[in-house]
Amino acid sequence: MTVVLFRIDERLIHGQVVIGWGTQLRPGRYIVVDDDLAGSEWEQELYRLGLPEDAEGEFLSVTECRERLPALRDDDVSTVILTRRVEPMLGLARDRRMEGETVNLGGLHHSTDRVERLPYLHLNTGEASQLREIVSEGVTVTAQDLPGSRRVDLETLLL
Amino acid sequence: MSLLVTSARLRTFLRTFLIQGSWNYRSLIGGGLAYTLLPMLRAKFRGEPEQLHSAVRRHVQAFNAHPYLSGIATGAVVRLEEEGADPEMIGRFKDAIRGSLGSLGDGLIWAGFRPLVLLLALMVGWLGAPPYVVIGLFLILYNIGHLWLRVWSFLIGLQGGHRVVERLREADLPGLTRKTLAAGSLALGALVGVVVMDGRSLGAGFWPWLLVSAVGFALGHRVGYAAWRPTAVLTALAVLALSILGLA
Repeated sequence: MTVVLFRIDERLIHGQVVIGWGTQLRPGRYIVVDDDLAGSEWEQELYRLGLPEDAEGEFLSVTECRERLPALRDDDVSTVILTRRVEPMLGLARDRRMEGETVNLGGLHHSTDRVERLPYLHLNTGEASQLREIVSEGVTVTAQDLPGSRRVDLETLLL
Repeated sequence: MSLLVTSARLRTFLRTFLIQGSWNYRSLIGGGLAYTLLPMLRAKFRGEPEQLHSAVRRHVQAFNAHPYLSGIATGAVVRLEEEGADPEMIGRFKDAIRGSLGSLGDGLIWAGFRPLVLLLALMVGWLGAPPYVVIGLFLILYNIGHLWLRVWSFLIGLQGGHRVVERLREADLPGLTRKTLAAGSLALGALVGVVVMDGRSLGAGFWPWLLVSAVGFALGHRVGYAAWRPTAVLTALAVLALSILGLA
């Protein structure tokens, strides 16, 4: 088994991830990569409420997850890795640590500096260039909120 | 507790029924949450229009939760606002709980409770009850659960504040979901078994329906989750065609 989903989604552990993707991919572990949440026990407890009973949850900093990534990609337990912003995912992808993998864009919502690319996906210029950097690290980037919905590649998205 | 606070809390609770009224992709139910909290915010910031405006702007940001469980977040935010908690901490609380309230609610209600109640009502229909009884029974049973969840959610949020996680753990919603799903599977098995065995009522006869069921099962087993949408469309079209031909 391996990392079955790398996903950028502001809501992190929620219905689309746990029910939508989770029932299809059957991961045994969900890892949230976020420097702030890695040190906040009370917030972690709230996020953990949404985990399925048969899956474990971990909260790691970008540095911690980068160290564990090679082992996770070759682990017996299948893993879903979640970030709520583009930047931590870029942090994981640097130095071609995620070469050959696909990053799924699942939900970045409206804010004043972002432009709507899809109804569930809004990006600012900084995020768009960070996604291109991820691609330059040998990673494919696509947008798809649910397994049954249309997959849109990054170049189409940023046209 | 003052009459003003009680009245504001009651009006806030009643507004939770409208929380999806302005759903949109930009803020999801964020606008609905701000509207729901307005009676409490008006009571708190009476005579302070700038602070009221600022609080509404904070709460109109993107937020999402299952509508029936959104009362947990609403009740907790009411308590945090009343206690004068740091706005940044309230924002982080909302960010952290929204996903869990979505996945817990989706599993318990959309995947578990609603199909179970529907199957129970269909079983009553199969036993010979007229359609209005079937529909009425579904609406009554479903809304008993729905209304109870709404009230319970708001109250535990109000009591727990940002520590509502302890109350939620005690409630063991995943365990309740598991039991509901098991009961739903039992009801589905019983209903399908009765329908398939009673070949006389199947119009086209027993064997064609059994064949269709077997093909559907094999397809679902092979393709899995991705098959549900086309299957739903094909099933609806098949039922329509059979109805027109007078076979169902």
